[in-house]
Amino acid sequence: MDSSPELQRFLEQEKQNMMMKELVGKLTSICWDKCITSAPGSKFSSGESTCLTNCTQRYLDMTMIIAKRLQM
Amino acid sequence: MDASGVNPRLLALIEEEKRKVIANEIIAKLTDTCWDKCITGSIGSSFSNSEVACLSNCAARFAELKMHIMQQFQKR
Repeated sequence: MDSSPELQRFLEQEKQNMMMKELVGKLTSICWDKCITSAPGSKFSSGESTCLTNCTQRYLDMTMIIAKRLQM
Repeated sequence: MDASGVNPRLLALIEEEKRKVIANEIIAKLTDTCWDKCITGSIGSSFSNSEVACLSNCAARFAELKMHIMQQFQKR
């Protein structure tokens, strides 16, 4: 298999992309479970919308806080 | 993403395999998630109308949520 530097760079980028996608997937699950507590409708209620936005933002805040902590 | 210098056939193969994996994962995830949300009582010989509506809504809402979260990510 070709192990050129270009391929290495490409694979590293792919790894980053995959990690990002995993985080998005995880966040979707977590906030879905937290906020969608009854049978889903033909659109999100305003309560559900608010909860989902808050959940996403707080979770991302938390990952930043933890990342900063680990750098110290 | 700069993939210059990488064999284009290899790239195309990787992209195709990624698409397959992602499609399978989405189906599995939606099945699990929406089964849990919508099939809550005893299980009959076919889905009730409300169960069908719930499953359809669930798949649409979950996909919508995932899109929305991806956009939130890109904004940060």
